[in-house]
Amino acid sequence: MSRGVSLQEGQLLVRSLNVSKSTHLLVASLAIAVSANAAAAIQLIGLMGQIALLVVIFVTVAVGTSAISSDIFARSSQTITNLRSIGANRSSISSAVFFSVIGYGVAGSALGAGAGAALGMALGGQGGAVSVLFAVLGVILASSAAAAAGVYAGGRGTWSD
Amino acid sequence: MERLGIIQRNESPTQGRYSVEVKHVSKSYGETEIYTDLHFQLLKGTFVALVGPIGSGKTTMLNMFAGLERPTSGTIIVMGQDITRMSQDSLGEFRATTIGLVPQVQTLIPELTVRENVELPLHFAKVDQESRQRKVDYVLEKVGIRGESKRVVSTLSVGEKQMVSFARAMVNDPPILLLDEPTESLDPLIAEVILGLLRGDNLTLGRTIFVTTHDRRVTDLARKTLRVKKKIP
Repeated sequence: MSRGVSLQEGQLLVRSLNVSKSTHLLVASLAIAVSANAAAAIQLIGLMGQIALLVVIFVTVAVGTSAISSDIFARSSQTITNLRSIGANRSSISSAVFFSVIGYGVAGSALGAGAGAALGMALGGQGGAVSVLFAVLGVILASSAAAAAGVYAGGRGTWSD
Repeated sequence: MERLGIIQRNESPTQGRYSVEVKHVSKSYGETEIYTDLHFQLLKGTFVALVGPIGSGKTTMLNMFAGLERPTSGTIIVMGQDITRMSQDSLGEFRATTIGLVPQVQTLIPELTVRENVELPLHFAKVDQESRQRKVDYVLEKVGIRGESKRVVSTLSVGEKQMVSFARAMVNDPPILLLDEPTESLDPLIAEVILGLLRGDNLTLGRTIFVTTHDRRVTDLARKTLRVKKKIP
């Protein structure tokens, strides 16, 4: 039996676990807020400051998405027990939550970083187009990776064998 | 051991003959002992009713057969697989293909439709879409609720939900069906339908059926009755 989750199975699991539009919006908002601020600020500070900022982005988004993910599993614990009694396993449930949420984290990061880049330039960022592009990509990567790590960690911390 | 009345014994089990083998199983919750050194086998295709007072551990035994609870000691082998040593993920896969479970408390997903609820175990068992559709249609027709397939479960009556639970348990044609008080608080007509389905499944498909019950109609139908004599102190 293969691991993972099909699209249709994932959609059923997500609906079973009540992962709603509000949850998606929360993840996207968090990513937008952090990425926008970071992408603006990163144009106005030096290299060490930029590195420190990327670390702050990663930690903030990871902690936030981990909490959101933990909350999904905690409030759906009875549903998860019910699903497991008919054959669901950790992999299928975790994957369904992960893929449902992560898209919004990545999209929010991209949207926020784009807005932040424009704001940074308007505020007098000194970098050229290439350096701004790299800064924005760095923010998107850090934020998206943090969202993925946070969602994964939040789910993993919930399971016990 | 002495808490059980009639048990089917065989001291030299033959490989593949039994659906469930319980080997020196003990179960306790903290200081409270539920079962001590249980040892028996259930033949494949048998229909067994487990009866006894409320709070005597009937559901615990059923849950142990489904791998939902682990024994404190001993081994339980279901369809040749030692479920007491399986990881939780392996148990999930095992349940998806081998066990049909109708618990006493409704475990349907209220937000999903009848069809989606019944289809869920097939997803977990990685059954392809065409087979899923065929199997769901078949089982919904069989239990007489195909017309309700698009209804959301939260809008169903208790009896209808029990029929959906039953359909969900049978949809993947599991070799073992475990039912916890399946006719309790049901309309007599719906109970009759369920009993008829159980009888038919056992006789024609050779499915092993293990059911906890207080219902005389169920024990009359069963080929063997296990009796838990005492309530847990």
